[in-house]
Amino acid sequence: MLFAAIPLLAHHSFGAEYDASKPITITGVVTKVEWTNPHSYFYLDVKDDQGNVASWKFEGYPPGVLYRTGWKRQVTIKPGDTVKVFGWQARDGTHWGHSREVTFADGKKLYFGPPAGTGDGGATPAVEIQ
Amino acid sequence: MMRALAVIALLSCVMVAQAQKKSSFPRMPDGKPNLTGVWQGGSTARGTWEEANKGTGLGGTGLDPSAPGVLSASDRPANREPAPYQPWAAAKVMESYKVRGIDDPTARCLPPGIPRTSLLGLFPTQIVETPEQIVILYEYMNVSRVIRMNAKHPDDLVPTYMGDSVGRWDGDTLVVDITGFNDKTWLIGTGTFHTEMLHVTERYKRVDKDRIDYDVTMEDPGVLTKPWVIHSNLMLREGTRLQEYVCAENNLDPGHYEDLVKDGVKFTRP
Repeated sequence: MLFAAIPLLAHHSFGAEYDASKPITITGVVTKVEWTNPHSYFYLDVKDDQGNVASWKFEGYPPGVLYRTGWKRQVTIKPGDTVKVFGWQARDGTHWGHSREVTFADGKKLYFGPPAGTGDGGATPAVEIQ
Repeated sequence: MMRALAVIALLSCVMVAQAQKKSSFPRMPDGKPNLTGVWQGGSTARGTWEEANKGTGLGGTGLDPSAPGVLSASDRPANREPAPYQPWAAAKVMESYKVRGIDDPTARCLPPGIPRTSLLGLFPTQIVETPEQIVILYEYMNVSRVIRMNAKHPDDLVPTYMGDSVGRWDGDTLVVDITGFNDKTWLIGTGTFHTEMLHVTERYKRVDKDRIDYDVTMEDPGVLTKPWVIHSNLMLREGTRLQEYVCAENNLDPGHYEDLVKDGVKFTRP
């Protein structure tokens, strides 16, 4: 019943797209980086135990925020780099994730996206719950 | 005569010295506070952007986990009274909260309105002051406002996302009156809708070189029971340049949402 009133368009809500109770840590090889608004993305080729390769897509901050938090376009993360990503998987179970922390081959870590829960209203609604 | 002139000269020097001593921040030639600069909303931390954003919260680098975070455009401001919505309107706000804000107008790249744009801390804000008008540029959504000083709102206002801003000085405080809003923005926090009756009053008081105290009062008899007042701050971020933010460039998530709903994936709050 509630669904009938929902416009099916959004991008800022973490909680709608990702499940904060299901953190993931994945290592793979970067295949593409999209330095775009309103979110940046990078793609990883991830090999499983059987040697099968899956392409994952990770979402994060817009370029302006990445710039201010120490990322350099076409320098910090490039196709061919092996990185470890901590984040949260999409609720639909597809190979789409919200990336929080990226660990590079030299051990350096940077946040690619915000903490869990951003943009979905947080822990407390603006009004008192009746 | 000479003695009188000497006294006047001495008094003038004392007055100028006192004025300079009193002011710990730049002033315009006419003595009004000069707010020109790049600022960060929702913060009380001093220093450059890098120095002031080391926490693990939104937009922080995590280099100092004890450092405070800043407000997201979808969060309820911390330590504030609940938004004074009329019961029917509060129920509508809760509907948006329960669906985790996927009905957020900014998620469709629409302008965030006021005060939502001025309270958030993830993106910088640039103020350019002249005696006749004060321009505020927001990195978030690439929106801007021109505050016409000592002017009146036009009689033929058409409702807009950012409203019509006119300003005046009340001593050292810039008071901005905004009307002419449409009903398509949220005030601050998920679901905080309003009507075209919205009237916003902002007060910018530069208290020292680094800090503006920012008080905002929202009045809307269409949805609120009383004026909703929020106290916040803008902190000077020397050396920060506004970046371009073109939201329509690669807004992929709407399609993702359509799929989530079509596939019946559960994401609502109880």
